Amino acid sequence: MPSSLLFGINNEGRVHTLSTSSTLWRELPYAGQEFKKLSAVPHFLWALGGDHQVYVYVHGLDIPIKVREESYENERWIPIEGFSSRLLPTDRFHFSSEDGTADRSIDKIRLPSMAWQWEGDWKLELTLDGQPLDHDGWTYAVDFPAQYYQRKQWSSYVRRRLWVRSRRYSAMNSWCAIAPLHKDATAEPFIDISIGGQGVAGAEPGTMLVWAVTSHNRVMFRSCVSTKSPEGAKWLHVTTPPSCEVCQLSVGSTGLVWAVLLDGRALVRVGVTRDSLFGDAWVEIRSPTEGVRLSHISVGNCAVWAVSQEKQVWFRKGVKGEGAGTSEEHATGCGWVEMVGRMSMISVAANDQVWGVGASDRIIYFRMGVTSSDLTGKRWRALHAPLQVSRASSNASLSREKLNHSLTSLTNRPHSITETTADVTNSNWEEQSHSAPTAPMSLPVGDLTGKHFETTLKNPKAWSPVRSVGSVVGTEAHPESDQSVWQADSNSYSSFYFPEDEELCWAECEAAWTWVEAGACTVDAVQLPNWFVEAALLQQVDLDKPWRLKILSELKDRIPVDERFSQYEKCNDTTSWVHTGEAKVSIKSHGEFLDCIIQLEWMYSSGTVTVLNPDGATTLHQFSVNEITCIQNCSEPGNPRLIVHTPRILPEYIRFQFFNDTTLEEWQSHLTAACGQVKNISGPAHTNSLWAVTKLGDVFVTDSKEILEIQRQNERYIVEVDLGAKQEFIVHYLDTGLSPGSELEIYGCLTDDVDRFAINLDVHTSYKPKHKSYVDFKNCALHFNPRFSDGVIVRNSLIGGKWGEEERDGGLPFEPGQEFHVIFVVREDAFVVYVNDKQFCTYKHRLPPYFISSLGIWGQVQPFKLKIKSPVPLVSPIDFYWRQMCGHLKKVESCRAGVTWAIGFDRTAWVYTGGWGGGFYSTIDSHNVHPMTDSQDYKVYENQRWNPLTGYTSTGLPTDRHMWSDVTGKQKRTRDQVKLMSMHWQWVSEWLIDFHVPGGVDKDGWQYAIDFPATYHANKHFTDLVRRRRWYRKCAIATTGPWQELGHTKLLDVTLELVDDEPNEKIAVWALASGGQAMIRFGASKENPVGSMWEHVSSSQPLSSISCGPFKRVWVTGKNGCAYWRVGITLEKLDGTSWAVVDPPCGNQLKQIACGEAGVWAIDTLGKLYMRTEVSPTTPEGTHWYMIPVDPSLLGHAQNKLGDTALNETTFKYVSVGKREVWVTTSTGLLLRRHGVHSSNPLGSGWDQAISSNWQYVSVKGFN
Amino acid sequence: MANDREILREIWEGKLPVCFTLNPDEVYELQEPDRFYLMVPRISYFPLVVDKVRKHFMRYIANDKQDQEMWLEYNGQALKWHYPIGVLFDLLVESDSDLPWNIIVHFDKFPDTIFRFNNKELVESYFMSCLKEADVLKHRGQVVSSMQKKDHNQLWQGFHNDKFDQFWAVNRKLMEKSADQDYFKHIPFRCYFEDNYKQKLVKPITEDGKKKTLSDLLQEVYPDRQNVIVRTHGVEPPLETPLQWMSEHLSYPDNFLHLCIQS
Repeated sequence: MPSSLLFGINNEGRVHTLSTSSTLWRELPYAGQEFKKLSAVPHFLWALGGDHQVYVYVHGLDIPIKVREESYENERWIPIEGFSSRLLPTDRFHFSSEDGTADRSIDKIRLPSMAWQWEGDWKLELTLDGQPLDHDGWTYAVDFPAQYYQRKQWSSYVRRRLWVRSRRYSAMNSWCAIAPLHKDATAEPFIDISIGGQGVAGAEPGTMLVWAVTSHNRVMFRSCVSTKSPEGAKWLHVTTPPSCEVCQLSVGSTGLVWAVLLDGRALVRVGVTRDSLFGDAWVEIRSPTEGVRLSHISVGNCAVWAVSQEKQVWFRKGVKGEGAGTSEEHATGCGWVEMVGRMSMISVAANDQVWGVGASDRIIYFRMGVTSSDLTGKRWRALHAPLQVSRASSNASLSREKLNHSLTSLTNRPHSITETTADVTNSNWEEQSHSAPTAPMSLPVGDLTGKHFETTLKNPKAWSPVRSVGSVVGTEAHPESDQSVWQADSNSYSSFYFPEDEELCWAECEAAWTWVEAGACTVDAVQLPNWFVEAALLQQVDLDKPWRLKILSELKDRIPVDERFSQYEKCNDTTSWVHTGEAKVSIKSHGEFLDCIIQLEWMYSSGTVTVLNPDGATTLHQFSVNEITCIQNCSEPGNPRLIVHTPRILPEYIRFQFFNDTTLEEWQSHLTAACGQVKNISGPAHTNSLWAVTKLGDVFVTDSKEILEIQRQNERYIVEVDLGAKQEFIVHYLDTGLSPGSELEIYGCLTDDVDRFAINLDVHTSYKPKHKSYVDFKNCALHFNPRFSDGVIVRNSLIGGKWGEEERDGGLPFEPGQEFHVIFVVREDAFVVYVNDKQFCTYKHRLPPYFISSLGIWGQVQPFKLKIKSPVPLVSPIDFYWRQMCGHLKKVESCRAGVTWAIGFDRTAWVYTGGWGGGFYSTIDSHNVHPMTDSQDYKVYENQRWNPLTGYTSTGLPTDRHMWSDVTGKQKRTRDQVKLMSMHWQWVSEWLIDFHVPGGVDKDGWQYAIDFPATYHANKHFTDLVRRRRWYRKCAIATTGPWQELGHTKLLDVTLELVDDEPNEKIAVWALASGGQAMIRFGASKENPVGSMWEHVSSSQPLSSISCGPFKRVWVTGKNGCAYWRVGITLEKLDGTSWAVVDPPCGNQLKQIACGEAGVWAIDTLGKLYMRTEVSPTTPEGTHWYMIPVDPSLLGHAQNKLGDTALNETTFKYVSVGKREVWVTTSTGLLLRRHGVHSSNPLGSGWDQAISSNWQYVSVKGFN
Repeated sequence: MANDREILREIWEGKLPVCFTLNPDEVYELQEPDRFYLMVPRISYFPLVVDKVRKHFMRYIANDKQDQEMWLEYNGQALKWHYPIGVLFDLLVESDSDLPWNIIVHFDKFPDTIFRFNNKELVESYFMSCLKEADVLKHRGQVVSSMQKKDHNQLWQGFHNDKFDQFWAVNRKLMEKSADQDYFKHIPFRCYFEDNYKQKLVKPITEDGKKKTLSDLLQEVYPDRQNVIVRTHGVEPPLETPLQWMSEHLSYPDNFLHLCIQS
C-alpha cells in the first residue's frame, strides 16, 4: 500500500501532514493564511481559511492536470465559391463541438481561472483514425452528421477540421482561493466545507463532490469538481427544509451527505446517484436522545460518526454507503450508539477507519480494531508522532525548552531518526530554514512534476479573496527544495531534522490539535503505521535480568563437550519423503477429469510423480520431476486446477483438478519445491531473465543459465542426442538454427539392402496467403541424398517449394551394412561434409544457415547418435524451466540490469524487490515478499428484444443469444452464477450497471442495435429491435509476492532501458500514465530500482504503448493508431525534445510497439504483426512496415491443443523485442520465439514454440 | 511476544545422546547386535526418531516377533511414547553425567502401562491437539482457529523436519498476546511428578496486575510443599522467572511448559 496522508490543524491554524510511511508530523508550507477546517480526498484538499473563504490545494500528482480544448471548424461547399464558412441556416455553428450542438468559437474559449495556463497556441489536428491528413487538416463528408473521410470526393459537400489547444492547471502544490460568493467577500463567508464522492457508483471517473455551508446557514454545492477541474465551476444553492439551519456537513466517499443543524438534529441527503450528484431530498434524523445535540459529524463509506455538544461520541449504525443513493434506509441508518471517549471532532476515512481530536487533551486519537465487520472498533489510541515546528510558529518558542528532552528521547527511538542520519545533507536544511517563512513547501507525497509555473504575485500575503475577486493563485511550490527534503516514497532522504539547526525543531506531541482530517488517509487496520510509539521496547529490558542469564548459560552448558557424541548419528532424515493425495486427472488433452491418486516421491536428490488409479493398483502415468518445465495454475472458477508441463515426454502436459484451493496450493507448493531442488533453482530471479505472465495474472520467470552450464564445453555448446538406431523417419529440431562454426555429427549404420537414404537440413515452411487459406512451400537448406543404385550422393536445396540444381560429383563413399560417420561443418559461406572422417565435398549456402530449423533423416539407415557442437547455446524454448514468482500482475517488464517493473490489473505499478516466493510458497521458501492486492471487474451482458406488444422484454427469439450472456452472446452468464476464481478473491462491490461502455449508453445503461451481432449505440432509433446493457462487479485479490508498490500514479505501460549500455549504469524508465500521458523516471538503477521521481513528457496525443530500445530510442503508439519515436534523446537530455510521427501500416491502427536491438516490431488492432524495416542509427524512423503472417501450422496446432473453437483465428497479442530475440504471445495463449532473427535478416523465418499455456505477456528485454 | 531468539534457538537445538541396546533376551541371532547411537532432539518425540533404531535391530530378533510393536525401557520403566523426549529425560535420569542415555529396546511383551503410539499420524494429531489446548488456555482458542490448514501444516512440518524458521513463522502468532491484552489468559503448563502430571488454571498476573513468577505457580499447584525444584529442558529455571516470559520462551513446540518436579 503506498503511503497516504493524514492532515491536522494545530491550535495556531497551521496545517500539518502525517504520512503513513513516516513517523513525524510536518508542517505544510505556511503562506500567510491560517486555516480552520480541512477536508481531503487523495491529492485534493479543500480548506476553510481563517478569513472564512474556501481554498483548494492540489498535491502529489505525477501528471499535470491538462485539458484539451477542441473546436471543429465547419465549412460547406457552395457552387462557384467552393468551400466557405457560410453555412446553411440549418447547419451547425462555424466553430462547434464535435456533435455540432454547441458553439465553440475559438476566441470565446477562455481559461476558467487564473490557476490555468495555456500551453501553446491553437493547432490543427492532422490525423484521422491514425491516418495522416493534408497539412490543412480538412476531413470531408456528404453532410454534417456523417462519416468523414480524408479525401475530397465528388459528393463531399461539407468539410471540417479540428483545432486543439491544451490548458494546464498551474497552481499545483499551492493554495488556490475559490472566488467568494458575492463581490464583497465578507458579505457571506463560509463556515464549513467538505469534499468526498470520489466513489459514486457509476459516475464518471474523477468525479468529486464538494459541499459547503455559508454563514447564513445556506448549503452550497460546488458544480463540476473533478480531477480535471479541481476548482469546479460555481456554487449552487441547495435548499434545506424550513427551520433547518445547517452549521456543519460531511460528504462520504460514495457521495452520502450528512449535515448537522444548529438545534442539534441531523439531515441526510438522499438520492445521491450518478444522475443526480447532489441528491434530491433531505431526510431529518433526530438527535440520539432527548437533550443531546449533535455538533459535528463525519461520513465514511459505511460509517457515520458524530460528536455532540457535550463531546460525547455517537456511531450511526445501519448506514451502507453503497446503496445510499438508491435506498433511504441505507443512507439514514437505523439508530445511534454511544461510544466511549470524549472528542471535540471526529473524522472518518473512506475505508471507515476513524480518528478524533480529544475533547480536553486535544490529542489526536485513532480508533483501534475497526474492521468491515466491526465498524465501531475497540478502543481509542493516541497518536504519538513528533511534530515539526517552524520558527514562524509561536509554539516553537514554547517547545524550545522541551527541545533537549525531546531530542534525547528521539535518539532512543530506533525508527525515527538514528538510522537515517547519514543520508541527510546539511545544506538542504539550511536552505530550508532560510526560506522557511515565505517559501512554501509542498506536501511530502509522491513526486513533483518538475516544472513550476511562473506567475508570481507581487505580494504573496495579499491573496486572500477578501481582498481580491476571482480564483487566485496562492504561491508556487519550489520543487527543487521540496524534492530534496520531502521524499515520502523513497526512504533514502527520509524526513528528518538535523540537530544543529536551531530554527527548526521536533517537539513531542504536546501540540494542541483543533482538527484532524482522514479523508485522504488509507490505513490498513492490520498493519498500522508507526504512529504509536509506546512501550514497545519493554521486552528488551528482560535481556539482562539475572534469571534470563542463568537460564541461558545453563541451556548452553547442557551437553558436555564430548568427542564421543559428535559421532552420533542425527535422527532427522529429510532426504526422502512421499506426499500422497487424491485428485482428479486429465491425461489426454481434452479428456475428462478422472479420479486418481497423485504421489510425489522424493529420494535424496530426485523425485518422481506417479498418478495412480483411485484404488492405487495401476499406474496411469509416471514421470520424473526432472521432466517438469512448468507448474501452472489453470483453474476455472469453481474448478481448482494445475497443469504440469513435461514437453519432452508424452503426454506433453497433464492437468490435475483438486477438491479445493487449499489442496491445490499444497500440491503446487510441493511440486514447485521439488522442481526447484532438482533444477537447483532458488533465490532471486537471475538478472538476465525472461519474464512471462499468464491470463490468470501469474508471473513466471526463466533463464537459460542452467541449460547452458550443462552444454558448455571449452567455449562451445555441445548436445548429444541418442537416435535409437531405428530405421524410421527422424526429425530433430534445431531451435537456434546453425550458426557458422557449428558442427553436426551423425553416427549410424546402413542396412544391407540400402538403396537410398537422406539427411535433410530443413528450414521452416513458408506460407503465402491465398484467399482465405494459405499455400505452403517447403524449404530445405541442404538435402544430402546418397543413392546406391546410381552410385552418387545428390546434394540440393528446396527453396519455396522448388528444387534447385543438383550437385552429384564425388562418388559414393558409403558401404551397405556398414557403420558410418558423417560430419557437416557449417562455414560462413558453405557446408563442408566429411564422410568417415574424410572431406567429401563443400556445398555453398543457398539459404542462410541460421534459418535451419530441423534435421530430418529417412531411408534404409539406422542412425545411432547425433552430436551438435555450436558456438552459440542450443536452447530450445520448450526446455526452459518456468519458475513462478507470486503476485497477481498483468504485465512485467525487465531490462538487462535486472531491474524489473510490473503493472497490475488495476494498473498499480510494482517493482521487483529481488526476493522470491510469496503466495502459495511457504514462508521459508519466500524472501522479501510484500502483501499485494489487485482488482478486476467481472462483466455480464443483459440482452433484451423488442416486441410490438410489451416493448423490450427479456424474452428473445429462439435463435437469439442467452438473455444473460458474455460479450459474444455465446456463453450463458447470469449474475448469480458468476463464481470467483479462487479463495483469495473477494467481491468488493455489488452488481452495478456499467455506464462507461464503448459506444455510449442511455440513462439506464442500455445500448441499442438493429439486431444482436451489430454495432450498438446509445440512443434508441426507430429501427432498433434489441438492446443490451453491461453489468459489472468488482472483485479483489489479496496475495503476497516479491513486489513493492510504487506509488499512487496508475500506469498503462512501462519500459526500462539502460541509459548507456553499462549494466551498472543508470536506467531510464519510461511509462504511460493511465490517461495515456508519457512520463520518464530518473534515478533508477540496480541499487535503487524504484528511482526517484516522474517527469511528465508531453505529447499531443494520448498514448497506448511505449517501448525503449538501445541507442536511446523510444517508440510509442498513440491511441489514434500512429507510431511515434522520440527525437533528441541524449545523455544530457534523456527525455528528448519532441515526438516524430510514423504513419501506421496503410489502413491499420497500431496498438502495441516493441523496440530493441533486434528491431522495431508492432501489433495492430486486428492482431497483425509488423516489423519496421531498415531502422538504423542514420534512419531511426525506418522505411516501412513489413507484415509477418501467422503460420497456419501454429493455427492448427493451437486449435488441437487448446480446444479453442475452430473459428477463432490466431492473432498476435503482444510482442517483445530483446537483444537478439523476438518473442510474441498469441490470442490462443501460445508463446513463440522468432526463428533465425539475425542482423543480416532481421525478419527471421518461422516460429519456435515454447510450452503452450495461457500466456498473455512476455518480456525478453533483459534476456540474454 | 516471544522475541528472545537466542533462548528460542537454544531450546530448539537441545539434543540428547542416546545409546540403544536390544534386550539381550530377545536376541535371536548368534551375534550380539551393535549398540545404536543417536543424537535426538529434546523437543521431539520418540516415535518420530526411532525408525532407524527399529531397522537396525530388526535383523537380530525372531521372525515371528518382527511384526510386534517396539517399546523402550529405561531403568526398568517403559518410556511413554507421547511425552517429549526432554521431559522423559528430565523425569527419569538423575543427573546429566549419565550420558549417553542408555535405553533398552524391546519387541516383545508390550507393557500395559503405556499407550500404543507408534505411528507419526498419531503423534501429529496428539501434537496438534496439545497446541490447540494451549491456545484455548492462552487466547480462548482464537488464534489457532483463525489459522488456515496451511498454517497448521506448516507448524507440524516445521517441527517434524527440524525447521526452526518454518515453525516459528507460524508459532509466533500463537505466542503473541491478544490485541487488547498484555498477557496470556492462562499459562499452559504441566507439572510432572513421579508417574503423573498436574494441570491447573494459572494466570500470568496477580489480581493487582503484578507479574507472577515460577514460584507463584508452584505455590498455586503445590500449596502444601516447600522447596520444590523444577527442571525443564535440562535446566533449573530460577524461581523468580516471570511466568509470561517462561511460557513464551521455554514452552515445548506443543506450546506447553513441561515442568518436572524433583523431590
